Amino acid sequence: MASETVIGSLRQQIATCESQLQDLKRQLAEVEHQSQQRRTNLALEQGVHTIDDPLAFDFSHGIHDDFKSEVLAALAQPEETTPPQRRWPLEANEYKRYGRQLIMPEIGLQGQLRLKNASVLIVGVGGLGCPAAAYLVGAGVGKVGLVDGDTVEESNLHRQILHSTAKVNMTKVESAMIALHSLNPNVELVPHQGRLTPETALSTLQPYDIVLDCTDTPASRYLISDSCVLLGKPLISASALRTDGQLMVLNNPPLPPGNTSGGPCYRCVFPKPPPAESVVTCGDGGILGPVVGTMGTLQALEAIKVLTKQPSASLNDPAPVDHPFLLIFSAYSSPMFRTIRLRTRKLKCAVCSAHATLTPEALNSGSMDYVQFCGTVGPIDALSSNERISAENYAKVRLNVNPFTGSEPSKDSHILVDVREKVQFDLCNLEGSVNVPFSAVTSLPVGARNGRANESNPEAVWVSELRQHADKPIFVVCRRGNDSQFTVKKMKELGLDNGGQRWIGDIRGGLLAWRDNVDREFPEY
Amino acid sequence: MAASKAPAGHFSILYFAAASTFTSKATEHLSAPVEARDLFSKLEALYPGIKDKVLNSCAVTVNLTYIDIYGDEAPDLEMVIKEGDEVAIIPPVSSG
Repeated sequence: MASETVIGSLRQQIATCESQLQDLKRQLAEVEHQSQQRRTNLALEQGVHTIDDPLAFDFSHGIHDDFKSEVLAALAQPEETTPPQRRWPLEANEYKRYGRQLIMPEIGLQGQLRLKNASVLIVGVGGLGCPAAAYLVGAGVGKVGLVDGDTVEESNLHRQILHSTAKVNMTKVESAMIALHSLNPNVELVPHQGRLTPETALSTLQPYDIVLDCTDTPASRYLISDSCVLLGKPLISASALRTDGQLMVLNNPPLPPGNTSGGPCYRCVFPKPPPAESVVTCGDGGILGPVVGTMGTLQALEAIKVLTKQPSASLNDPAPVDHPFLLIFSAYSSPMFRTIRLRTRKLKCAVCSAHATLTPEALNSGSMDYVQFCGTVGPIDALSSNERISAENYAKVRLNVNPFTGSEPSKDSHILVDVREKVQFDLCNLEGSVNVPFSAVTSLPVGARNGRANESNPEAVWVSELRQHADKPIFVVCRRGNDSQFTVKKMKELGLDNGGQRWIGDIRGGLLAWRDNVDREFPEY
Repeated sequence: MAASKAPAGHFSILYFAAASTFTSKATEHLSAPVEARDLFSKLEALYPGIKDKVLNSCAVTVNLTYIDIYGDEAPDLEMVIKEGDEVAIIPPVSSG
């Protein structure tokens, strides 16, 4: 324990020193830049007086005006293109570091300079934000801001590639700063500790050229999109769950609300949030590392494309407008990628159209409630207290006597139904439990209660099996204690409780509570 | 979910993410033609509850182009989904 404290404190000190060093380097660069500019100005001023030589006489008196101006222009040229203070626009190490992308026509010297002068805000430093940040910092974006309020957990490490085993419990922002700084010390990193809120969104996003939405909730997606429209910033939005991902470049070009040539916003594509109870997190639904990694990598790619886009050469030949798209990635399908052509801004979009009602003042004041707009799911409490049993009491049932029915001990005295999906049941389960996946429970038709099995409508196998042991109480367990409550209600609808004669109830808090309060060795996943 | 070619008189429909979970299908063929305004009620009849739980927040595309059928005055309500078209139901994915 003591050594862990020391490690933590050393890490803290290193991080502090590194950020101080970063700040000093930035100050030095600024001062150097200023003094070079002063020297340049001085040289230019002196240059005005140095025409006082023999040639100057001829120029002033003996040469045709047209010729004279041509020669002067030719002489003046080198002065403009190669400023005397610096021979090359990039540092020596930058030519080497970025050489492989510098030699590509898509980037070139101008593209690299655009990246160097650019700033990107990455909101969320998780499965999407880690690869996105790594590639943008690697590519030499001048300034990268990182927003996150979470700390690193062990279950993040299979996909959040900037974090490592030693950094569990460190804030994600700090962990990412350390990894990114060692990747490329040329990039200025700006930490924004904490979650983005409506009150802080505009001031946080304001200093940056472009924003990457790498967050994980519907509320943050609407908040970031709205803020980008109000501030006129292009937004690169991506998401991933299980084996699927989505990617969009939004508000690009970032024209003011009402300008129909501007790119659509998140609300134009998804005007209505999904019902809160249908939103699945990576913790519940699962996520494959390379799937979310692919999406984060594509965000970095799109950011580089937007930042290095060459301005139109002339008014007659405007740069081609990128058509807005929604890219769907589906890792186990063929084809894996589908690109959907999006429309332009929606005529009645609440945020980016001429009918827009959202103002910066409303956002800053916090009167826009994004959490309410997207809905919330409170803790589910669908059962009465005599339909529930704690994990500790259930452990006693397995060892002693059922506190409700007083029946004899042994595992055979009751039925334990585990309603996690089969793949989770196969990971770990309680001895003697029966698996009825929750998807099989929910897919039973609503009116099934009246329809006892008949020939045209055979009963599900698991239902008839449970009917066969009409005397044994049924305990239902799931991962966290939500699906089990729904299942108890459904079983009673199906009449499995024999009109109240058989006890059916759930284990409060699910296997998580079992692990926390009864069996510490039961795997947590 | 490589959608096999729809048989005569049908269009293909692809279900992504939550839509695929709800229908337990990645793709199927439905009879054509259907007016875009009737698409959701047709699916609701096949999968009771899908409209409120999934479709209302989805993006809908026909032949890889987004169609706007959100609200009573949406521009694409009268569009006709024809035989051989490919429709996709795309719920927003928000995690990451």
